[in-house]
Amino acid sequence: MHLMLYFPCSHLFLALTTLPLFGSTYLSWSSQTDCVHANEQCTADPSCSSRYRTLRQCLGGRDRDVLLSSQECKTAQEVVRDSALHLCRCRRGMKKELQCLQVYWGIRAGLADADEFYEASPYEPAALRLSDIFRLTSISSGAEGVSSKQNACLDAAKFCNVNDICKKLRSAYISTCTSGGADRICTRRKCHKALRTFIERVPLELSYPLLFCPCRDKPCAERRRQTAVPDCSFMRPEIPNCLEIWSGCRQDSVCRSRLADFVTSCQSSPQSASGCVQDNYPACLTAYAWLIGFDVALNFLNSDPHSLAVGPWCTCNGSGDEEAMCERYLKTFTENTCLRNAIYAYGNGTNIVPTQNVPKSPRTTISTRTERRLLPDNQSDSNTQYEGNSDICSSLQDMKNANLTDLTICVSEAQLNTDFTPELRTKDDQSGVSHLRASILYIILVIIYSAAVFP
Amino acid sequence: ARMKRARVHKQPCTVKELEVSVSELGLGYVSDETVLFRYCSGTCDAAVRNYDFSLQSIRGKKKIKKEKVRARPCCRPLSYDDDISFLDSKNHYHTIKEVSAKDCGCV
Repeated sequence: MHLMLYFPCSHLFLALTTLPLFGSTYLSWSSQTDCVHANEQCTADPSCSSRYRTLRQCLGGRDRDVLLSSQECKTAQEVVRDSALHLCRCRRGMKKELQCLQVYWGIRAGLADADEFYEASPYEPAALRLSDIFRLTSISSGAEGVSSKQNACLDAAKFCNVNDICKKLRSAYISTCTSGGADRICTRRKCHKALRTFIERVPLELSYPLLFCPCRDKPCAERRRQTAVPDCSFMRPEIPNCLEIWSGCRQDSVCRSRLADFVTSCQSSPQSASGCVQDNYPACLTAYAWLIGFDVALNFLNSDPHSLAVGPWCTCNGSGDEEAMCERYLKTFTENTCLRNAIYAYGNGTNIVPTQNVPKSPRTTISTRTERRLLPDNQSDSNTQYEGNSDICSSLQDMKNANLTDLTICVSEAQLNTDFTPELRTKDDQSGVSHLRASILYIILVIIYSAAVFP
Repeated sequence: ARMKRARVHKQPCTVKELEVSVSELGLGYVSDETVLFRYCSGTCDAAVRNYDFSLQSIRGKKKIKKEKVRARPCCRPLSYDDDISFLDSKNHYHTIKEVSAKDCGCV
């Protein structure tokens, strides 16, 4: 189940709507390796490894800005930009996740985002489909008879309790987070750790229903609010300043990554019918869930079943002259249409993301005739999405300009793998890639052939 | 039908499980949350030892009178399941230990 979280083809969703902010970072996703691997690749290559070492020295130095403007550092940056390191990503809960994230942010330090609040996520986007995460909803409304229809959160607790891993890890965080008893003195740090373990290890068919259960009445909504034991993990006697907790979070590679992932995956858009820039509810729910166990985590703010009011435990009071900026950032959490719709849709068990909203890329211009011939028979030609394989595109474009008239080909990977079913894609990943290579090779051969025949 | 019932009775000591509400546990907690209650059930005929025969015999000869002795092995938990945590009807969390069996055996 967890495998699907890391389904590598997820960029196909993103490619549709990549915002200028995150621009090129989502392009040619499948060529990306994880940063631990990319780091090893670079180390194995003498020129990359020496440049990378130089870059790290440039970034690590005391006079960073001065160093970075030096020619040597600039060259190092360029070399690293061209290596696999530049586009590498990490997977949530992967082996060596911390190391991976450190490599990611290590390079980012040199290629900084314009706005440090809106940083691009170092994680591969979660590519679950709603049907995957809805599995429990269908179980509880189906054959299992015993469910209490009124209180979905109670059902969620039941499903967790009858599963050994879920029961154990839920119990572990609850007992840790309530260890202070009536005094409400708990070890917040240990509570956070136990919560993170719960989120990382429990299958999301069991954890999401606890976090996002739909409620019609107050007891249910209160139970939902209580899920992460907010008395210990969320609330504090004093409300801290948001800018402080965000900058505190950025000191820690993992927290910084989870925050960036939330900002990326739950980015709202009034234009999109789903409310999400990426039209990907599961990605936003995942980003929300993986924030739990950090100071920047969100929680339901009240037990009103209809409000869906969520937010972090912080305030913009005391931000000084940065208060307006703080308020703007805070709205990313408190007035997040994408997140709200995602929670709502999750509760409803329906996917309200319309598919016709998908914009077609101007660069996918294959005439039907050519396409039929070039694409493998089992690939449908609907849902074509541009997924920038710019190198191939431009080189083919060059060839075309050099007197090749008829064959205007710029095939993106997405078109060659139009089957979006994650299960299939994970299984057929290897063959999919080789298929792509074969197809590209075929296209090039066709071009060369036609160039030779019709000069 | 009788055969079947007889066979059920002969089932050796094993763990069984039941979904019950926390309130039904009878520990004084009020919560609608459902938990998995595992318990030990079954016979221990195969685990009868010379100890048991001897004890029965000696008790039969009235050598042991006022003490409470058990001359048969008993199907009991050998270890207990992980803690169970739940939210009660007043929205307080509780964690209870050693409520549910993990392994059963004849002791």
